[in-house]
Amino acid sequence: MTAKRSYILGECTPSRIEEPVDAVAVAAVLASAAADRKAVVAFGGGTLQTIGSAPSRYDIALSLRKLDRVIDYDHRDLTIGLDAGVTIDTVNRTLAKAGQFIPFDAPQPSLATVGGTLAAGWTGPRSAAYGRLRDVLIGSTAALPDGTLASAGGMVVKNVTGYDMSKLYVGSLGTLGILVRANFKALPRAPNRRLALAPLPDDARERAIAAIAHLTIEPTAALVVDGFFRAVPRVRDEDARLIVLFEGSAAVIERATRDLRSALGAAGVAETALFDDAAAEKTLQNVIDAYIEPVGDRSVTYRSHGLASNAWARAGASLALARDHGLACDTIADIRSGVAIARVAGRTHAALSEWLTEFDANIRRVIPQSTVLAGDVRLRARVDAWGAPPSTIETMRALKARFDPTSMLAPGRYVGGI
Amino acid sequence: MAPTFGPRLLEALGPDIVRTEPEDLAAYAYDGYDESGTPSAAVIPRDVRETAAAIRIAHECGEPVVPRGAGTGLCGGAVPHGGGLVISFARMNRLLALDVRNRRARVQPGLINLDLSRQIAAHGIFYAPDPSSQKISTIGGNVGTNAGGPHCLSYGTTTNHILGIEYVDTLGNIHRTSLDEGGYDLTGLLVGSEGTLGVVTEVDVRLMKLPEAVRVCVAAFGDVESASEAVSAIIGAGIVPIALEIMDKLITEAVEAHYHAGYPAGAGAVLLVEIAGAHDDMDATEALLARIARDHGALSWRAARDVAECEALWASRKGAAGAIGRIAPNYYIQDACVPRTKLPQVVAQIERIARDHRLPVGNVFHAGDGNLHPLLIFDRRDRRQAQAVVDAGTEILETCIAMGGTISGEHGIGYEKRESLSLVFSTDDLAAMGRVRNVFDPMLRFNPDKIFPTGAICGEVTRAPSAA
Repeated sequence: MTAKRSYILGECTPSRIEEPVDAVAVAAVLASAAADRKAVVAFGGGTLQTIGSAPSRYDIALSLRKLDRVIDYDHRDLTIGLDAGVTIDTVNRTLAKAGQFIPFDAPQPSLATVGGTLAAGWTGPRSAAYGRLRDVLIGSTAALPDGTLASAGGMVVKNVTGYDMSKLYVGSLGTLGILVRANFKALPRAPNRRLALAPLPDDARERAIAAIAHLTIEPTAALVVDGFFRAVPRVRDEDARLIVLFEGSAAVIERATRDLRSALGAAGVAETALFDDAAAEKTLQNVIDAYIEPVGDRSVTYRSHGLASNAWARAGASLALARDHGLACDTIADIRSGVAIARVAGRTHAALSEWLTEFDANIRRVIPQSTVLAGDVRLRARVDAWGAPPSTIETMRALKARFDPTSMLAPGRYVGGI
Repeated sequence: MAPTFGPRLLEALGPDIVRTEPEDLAAYAYDGYDESGTPSAAVIPRDVRETAAAIRIAHECGEPVVPRGAGTGLCGGAVPHGGGLVISFARMNRLLALDVRNRRARVQPGLINLDLSRQIAAHGIFYAPDPSSQKISTIGGNVGTNAGGPHCLSYGTTTNHILGIEYVDTLGNIHRTSLDEGGYDLTGLLVGSEGTLGVVTEVDVRLMKLPEAVRVCVAAFGDVESASEAVSAIIGAGIVPIALEIMDKLITEAVEAHYHAGYPAGAGAVLLVEIAGAHDDMDATEALLARIARDHGALSWRAARDVAECEALWASRKGAAGAIGRIAPNYYIQDACVPRTKLPQVVAQIERIARDHRLPVGNVFHAGDGNLHPLLIFDRRDRRQAQAVVDAGTEILETCIAMGGTISGEHGIGYEKRESLSLVFSTDDLAAMGRVRNVFDPMLRFNPDKIFPTGAICGEVTRAPSAA
């Protein structure tokens, strides 16, 4: 039963767990589940299963963890073919040996898998610099509800051969098909990295953020973190801190640091701590882990995508709203990619529970594109994970109906109840 | 054609927008591919409303719809083989909104690729995808074929630079997609769908900051294989310049005769390398590249002296296909992509295939991406040569597939390669794509006879309502 417990979604426990060992076996599970009218939810590491609504039906948890091979990797091609169940840590390690990387930037990389991270549509803090995962995904194979395996793209970096089906599965939360294989374009890893951490007093915030946007050497990540003290310690008693990552040659990083310090100094930021290489990576990973980290059973985390220029305003608006309701709020504003994270927490589960409905209505009024990213399972069940569906929802429903006519894949988990 | 089709279009949109006379329609019968087909009517709408109205009438009359940018496509994607309506976006060619801070712009599909970068250059930003046709090809057309270009080595292809799309569906309804919204990535599906899923009427593009420093270098090699080896070694060493292009002797000589850009004379192959980034890195990166090139047999290496020389080198590279017009009555340019380590082998195979078919071949290609463009030279009037070109083209594609590659890197499948699609994809693969097609265009009216092999997908059995 312990095994089943880790596959609980909302109030639903699956009646069985399937752990197929290869792509053909995954397709066979889907074919037999379709015949038996069973509903299937795919699982990688389960780290991002807090995204989406609880399934309306849920019989089989389909774990991809046994599909864990690096299938095709010649570092000279700068491409890599991976089973969907390979962990992000494994990919990172494999690529790092040849001085390469893929900008997954996912939380809990020792558990998170390639397929799960793709299906969740994860967008990490370096996506503005290196592309979203959809941008480096060059091919895929998915198992479909009719028991077939459908491939698209390939192992080449430029391809207009048929529809770009791979993008359809990214961010689809396994509602159209189950990714069994993913091919990526790998990128050369910069020889050095430096993370700058600076306190961000209220009166310097706007100028400092503007200064970052005008740096000649662009940071590969730039985040304003307010709260989240476990991930990023307070600097000079300030709640808000600026995190800026530079990657490149030693010469470029030195110059970038000088430019940054001078720009921040002019904006009224007095001090900048620097972390190099492994320390820089660790600090960044701490922040990425914080995106989905709950506060016990008393928090819900919202995420919104949008313009980089207003990510900070969205985070600020969430913070103000939370205070109006007597709730605590930690925020991350990705001022390069435009992602904003707001984790609201009550003193107790009951305290958040009391205000959640009202807060949820308000945050969606102010930031309509807000979706729920993480948090306590019972609290998440009380709010709509997605908010108002996009204007193209009817086309999306038609795609779902065509790919999964009996709605056996993660039914009810997706946008608009798909 | 439904007899009411032309009159209904004229009634709804007027003679300034609608063309129905054969002499006018001839202009919409061709693109860069060999075959042609005359439409029943053409419209040149000024906005999405007129576009949607025309599509609605085409739907009601049961006429196919073929969108058209500049008509530079090489695979027949813009040719109305089955007649029907051609929609030209020549009048929808404006930059609608520019957001410098967030580096994005909203443009109409008929905006010429290079015009976009020119209009925004003063802000220190540019639109990265740069197909060789960028002086005339349009953003909408580029979206249709997911166009590449020399600089997608580092910057990615069109799909990596499209943030959202407004499109008209087969019934004439208008939709807008955005990467910032939740739900399936319809934007990603529409890019590269060659006008078979929707007619694109607005595009939100991502813009990039112009690099602080740029350097263009040229190396001469004894032959294409050694230049390709050098490219593989550069990529393998983890250096991704912003462009890595190879031209063989035939192409280089044609280009020099035409443009006089200063490519080394007499070289068996020329490697064009562009690096960009911070000033601080330029010398070290160039030195490393030059060393790798020399290790792989480079006979010479030099950097362009100034901006004018950089531009001349690029202009002639991008005009390579045109320059071939000086030396050949006809040419056929193939487009295929292989894993980068396979380049030297594939290049050798292509030369063998051309030799077997007694055809001169020129190679000009985006080597860093493994994207090949062998250019077969022939005389259409000679039946043996005309057939040999078709046979050699097919053999080249088969060779690329056998090496783990694919049949189009950036030109698209269009009409030309649709039967070859089943060489790359299984019936199940194609069935999944067919489902997408059926969702967006159940009657198969949007650019029919493109992408999919004959009989690979079926339209819905429902009939269109008959025209009133």
